[in-house]
Amino acid sequence: MEPLKPETVKDLLDRPHVAPADVEEYQRLLAERFTVDPDAAMAPALKAAAQERETRLKELYQKLFADRTPVRKR
Amino acid sequence: MGEGPMSNVTATPTVKVIREGDTSKPNAFTIVIVSNPALETPWHSGTFAVDSITNNEANFDGCVAYINESLFGDLPGQAETFLADPTIGPYIRLVSLFVDGLPAQDANALVAQDDVSNIAVARRTVFAPFLARFELSADIAYAVTASATHTRASAWFMSDDDAQGGVPFTLNGVSLVHRYHHLIPGTVALPVTSTSLTALHELGHALSSYTNGMVVDLYVDSREGLNNRQGRPIPHDFATYNGEAIVADPSRDSLGYPVGWQSYHCSLLDPANPAVMDDYWKAKGGPEACRHDAITRRFLADRLRAKISRY
Repeated sequence: MEPLKPETVKDLLDRPHVAPADVEEYQRLLAERFTVDPDAAMAPALKAAAQERETRLKELYQKLFADRTPVRKR
Repeated sequence: MGEGPMSNVTATPTVKVIREGDTSKPNAFTIVIVSNPALETPWHSGTFAVDSITNNEANFDGCVAYINESLFGDLPGQAETFLADPTIGPYIRLVSLFVDGLPAQDANALVAQDDVSNIAVARRTVFAPFLARFELSADIAYAVTASATHTRASAWFMSDDDAQGGVPFTLNGVSLVHRYHHLIPGTVALPVTSTSLTALHELGHALSSYTNGMVVDLYVDSREGLNNRQGRPIPHDFATYNGEAIVADPSRDSLGYPVGWQSYHCSLLDPANPAVMDDYWKAKGGPEACRHDAITRRFLADRLRAKISRY
């Protein structure tokens, strides 16, 4: 997975409601998705973890990208 | 460079052989770059739309040229050139397939648009049957997309055929195999706007394996893989590969390990710049200055040599 460009990370971190830990977790979960064989991820032992990851990714995506207008921290 | 239209399908494909590879073998190691006919929008929705890359063969050809340069170390100032090694490069077959006029449906959609990011996602199980319609097969396949919204590349590792042979190796005392064959090829979804090391970075993932060594992203606190381990304090040795100890990177050199990370990496071949699988955008010398770390470079080269040796 391509790393986020530095300007994108800066844009996200300029938003007052976004913490560096949010970006870190979002990136980590996206990268983790690709480390699980998608076919194996459908097995019962892994399916719950995959669903939990996708749910958390949706939450983080909403938080990070719902408002695309950059807001600078004061 | 040979090229010619295919006649056994209804669309109008153009196949170009960019690199001949090992012409002495019927099943030479092959990388295919294909124009993505259709997008699944969003991923897992069952809704499909024509990918506009099919309307722009010139853009596709430009991306093919870019991928060829990135993989084989021909970008201006590019430091990582392991695929150009004379024991590897001449044996890799590189083929492009441009096809337009296909309907937007499941069997023609090689790329999906993620609904929680701007990542283009390869629909990995569609590739082999799609390429077979054009009498092509691939060990690694890049689907080039012109999605207007999803401009970040991604890749799935290869699913090895562990029932067939290969070249054995050991990693930290565990017996693994550089397999000759795969069940599902390594697949990449690559936006047509991609630049720099992105194509090479994604090759690192796509050439690795779910069962015989995963090359993971190093710019996050990743799970363990061939090139990433977890724990503190960081030990002197990163891993033992084929009985040889390979040193760890105690400081992640030019970037530093963030506080709280458990990941640690292998020693770098160029401590002044991040590894190719790390955040290459942050390289002080520019992304093209990045090289693979020691174990990733050795693993990928050994895996390629095994695959190009098959009959």
